[in-house]
Amino acid sequence: METNGETKSQNAENVLDHFHLFRQPQYLEMFERKKREFEDPTCSDEVERIREWTKTKEYRDKNFAREAITINPAKACQPLGAIFAAVGFEGTLPFVHGSQGCVAYFRSHFSRHFKEPSGCVSSSMTEDAAVFGGLNNMIDGLANSYALYKPKMIAVSTTCMAEVIGDDLNAFIKNAREKGSVPQDFDVPFAHTPSFVGSHITGYDNMMKGILEYFWDGKAKTVPPLVREPNGRINLIIGFDGNVVGNVREVRRILDLMGVDYLIVSDNSDVWDTPADGTFRMYDGGTKLSEISDALHSKATISMQSFCTPKTLPYIEKKGQETIGLHYPIGIAATDRFLQEVSRLSGKPIPESLEKERGRLVDAIADSSAHIHGKRFAVYADPDVALGITGFLLELGAEPAHVLATNADAAWEGKVRELFSSSPFGAGCQVYPGKDLWHLRSLLFTEPVDFMIGNTYAKYLERDTGTPLIRLGFPIFDRHHHHRYPVWGYQGALNVLVWILDKIFDEMDRNTNVPAKSDYSFDIIR
Amino acid sequence: MSNLSEKVQAVFQEPGCVKNRAKSDKERKKGCTKQLQPGAAAGGCAFDGAKIALQPITDVVHLVHGPIACEGNSWDNRGSKSSDSHLYRMGFTTDIQEMDVVYGGEKRLFRAIKEAIDRYDPPAVFVYQTCVPALIGDDIDAVCQAAKKQFGRPIVPVQSPGFAGSKNLGNKLAGEALLDHVIGTEEPAYTTPCDVNIIGEYNLAGELWQVKPLLDQLGIRILACISGNAKYQEIASCHRAKATILVCSKAMINIARKMEEKYGIPFFEGSFYGISDMSDALRHLARLLVGRGAPEELLSKTEILIRREEQKAWEKLKTYQKQLAGKRVLLITGGVKSWSVVSALQEVGMEIVGTSVKKSTDEDKERIKKLMGEEAHMIEEMTPREMYRMLKEARADIMLSGGRSQFVALKAKMPWLDINQERHHAYAGYDGMVALVAEIDRALSNPVWQEVRLPAPWQEA
Repeated sequence: METNGETKSQNAENVLDHFHLFRQPQYLEMFERKKREFEDPTCSDEVERIREWTKTKEYRDKNFAREAITINPAKACQPLGAIFAAVGFEGTLPFVHGSQGCVAYFRSHFSRHFKEPSGCVSSSMTEDAAVFGGLNNMIDGLANSYALYKPKMIAVSTTCMAEVIGDDLNAFIKNAREKGSVPQDFDVPFAHTPSFVGSHITGYDNMMKGILEYFWDGKAKTVPPLVREPNGRINLIIGFDGNVVGNVREVRRILDLMGVDYLIVSDNSDVWDTPADGTFRMYDGGTKLSEISDALHSKATISMQSFCTPKTLPYIEKKGQETIGLHYPIGIAATDRFLQEVSRLSGKPIPESLEKERGRLVDAIADSSAHIHGKRFAVYADPDVALGITGFLLELGAEPAHVLATNADAAWEGKVRELFSSSPFGAGCQVYPGKDLWHLRSLLFTEPVDFMIGNTYAKYLERDTGTPLIRLGFPIFDRHHHHRYPVWGYQGALNVLVWILDKIFDEMDRNTNVPAKSDYSFDIIR
Repeated sequence: MSNLSEKVQAVFQEPGCVKNRAKSDKERKKGCTKQLQPGAAAGGCAFDGAKIALQPITDVVHLVHGPIACEGNSWDNRGSKSSDSHLYRMGFTTDIQEMDVVYGGEKRLFRAIKEAIDRYDPPAVFVYQTCVPALIGDDIDAVCQAAKKQFGRPIVPVQSPGFAGSKNLGNKLAGEALLDHVIGTEEPAYTTPCDVNIIGEYNLAGELWQVKPLLDQLGIRILACISGNAKYQEIASCHRAKATILVCSKAMINIARKMEEKYGIPFFEGSFYGISDMSDALRHLARLLVGRGAPEELLSKTEILIRREEQKAWEKLKTYQKQLAGKRVLLITGGVKSWSVVSALQEVGMEIVGTSVKKSTDEDKERIKKLMGEEAHMIEEMTPREMYRMLKEARADIMLSGGRSQFVALKAKMPWLDINQERHHAYAGYDGMVALVAEIDRALSNPVWQEVRLPAPWQEA
């Protein structure tokens, strides 16, 4: 520990930061005194007793009997997903009709995960707007953002505030257009995204459907609806994905290798990975606006995450396309299925180079199988991501003992159970839809596992329960650049394999590294 | 150099070696190292053999005199465990440079010995000769002699430069170094009628610790284990043992044989792998000890222990027998394990479809024939390509192999289990057999093997 020498308080020559300052004896003593004299503390034995009690089965039963309170939810709200979908289009500014505080959250959320600026505006509704309706905020908001940020399209979603008072986006945007906020032919698709319904994946679905509807069904009655003229192209919808930067690039590589004609509908891999070359790109890459219209004519649409597109996919199907719903393809079988669907739809064979990649992945898994075999995992993530991870763990011979998704329903539960029963390693594994991380905490204490896969928030569980964490999902705030690595495809699965193995070996090292006590097993070769 | 060639000749003459005994004088002189075919894959060199044989001695500095290659690549690469000092896991080398090659590396070696002693104060320093200093004529014997005088502790030269021959030769040259410089130089604090030496056990993955508790229960003291988990002083005073068990039939027979000759310590070859082998080893050891003055009751105590431990092991194995009976195993390993593992696996009802005999003696092969019948599929040296073909044809369910061949196995879609020196599970003794079978069971049930054997789904159509 860094100390401050002889002095009793901060020293201007050597100012201690929070890592060290409050560990100084004078602070420790002060905290102790404050607690004793002013806080009327419970005796530490009792605190310890309760702490231990929270680890018991009895506490777990009470915990699972919770009806009202959600503690540490593993989900975010609809507009977050709506923004995610919106920024995947060329020059598109996400505009959230509602209060600006929410939008500040969304921006920081994305920035903290992707380490990129995140452009998004709100209509900054205040108390007046809540009483009189937010029409003026929409009119001024669209005018200002059009003038300030020069977007090619503005995608409007809503916060709870606008939803509660019942603002009608369609009418408001029409009004704003008439008032000259934006040019008559300027594209303003929209979606109602109340946060008290569903989660960020619902918002993704709503915005995706809103944009497609807007372009395909006559741009809010300003032009005639499009007529589908089928071609051979395949649409891909990525879904809400923390690894989108790596995954989209991997998918492109695979499809280019196969020589498939495809279109990624909402591609935000560039806007969340802009180069540091002296140019600020508020918008970068993305699906071209003209391509959104073209997407109607495609032969088929593959949703990489079905639970992110429960309304979008049927809508597309109704337009006459074949639709395929996947669940975040991690691993051999999931990637096989993806490639086979693409191959079937496009008529292009799966090239030898991909088959070799597949063989290499199988080889890598076999090389390390002994270390993963039979290890028990707890997994939580968005529904599709959880399915993807669970499938891969079963392939590795690991047991996904607890699989949990806060924003999941019975349909998802059924899918997970189906996966469990497809492998002997799924026997005895449990699925928990709609549960939160405080439920998971009880599970980890009462039915411990070897490792946990989850997002950054799981680090508290790691601290409390000692279960080592492998970070995967969204958000990942406390480790950098994971989003740049794919987890889809054979190459992606290899990444996940390596992360899991790294953690297993780190743990092995950590448990054997005490000099003269356990380091007889602290080996160079693992 | 003359010193080295004398030593090599002496090892080639080793009368304890079955192979040597079968040879004519002329053949024997030529030595037992087969000339390696340039361009063909080969195993480790004599230096490597010497290093791995002695490296498990835990409390000494193992100083490699040579360029970085030798120690840089071999540092701490074996899973030999220690219950005490970890000095043996540090990499010490003189890391000689171009100028040392020109002017000689002896002074650097001397200084290196001094620095190692100053810093780590080990009971002894083992100095390993390697090709380059041997070629330029560094006299490590002389340097060690001088250092011994100067620093007042044993400095042991290990004359086994890589070019001297094979890894196996290196094992034996390491044994010679122990015989010449270590064994018999100190006296044990006390002796008992039940003191034994174990030779050829390296405590890989802690296997010695699966055996030691059994000996402890019988009141048998391991005076020295050469060289797993050994301390210098133990080996230096191990000439007072009453009996020796030799568990690796090829590596260090010269030590066992010469100690019998010089100190009258009888030895036998046994194995800790497999339930009945383990029991035989204990029985044999007890008999030898009683013959040399240990109390008669040791025999009955041994029988009681064997009965109890065997019963325990069988009960544990029963749960696996059902899944494993009839499964076909292919063994690609060497030396002692080729027969001792065969019998062990047969005990749980597995079928051995073949075993490698590359490092096995004729005696080993005889044992294999006895165990597996005359048709025993014995595999001599083979290239990876041949191995691949054999694996594909063998239609075995699992291969037990060392780290080098496991990857070939995988390409041939064969599940494998590592039973060589880099393994991390201990398979010795009664518990070890249960562990081995448990690992085989795990390996066979891993879902990746199905994946390995299936073609990509789009190929089926």
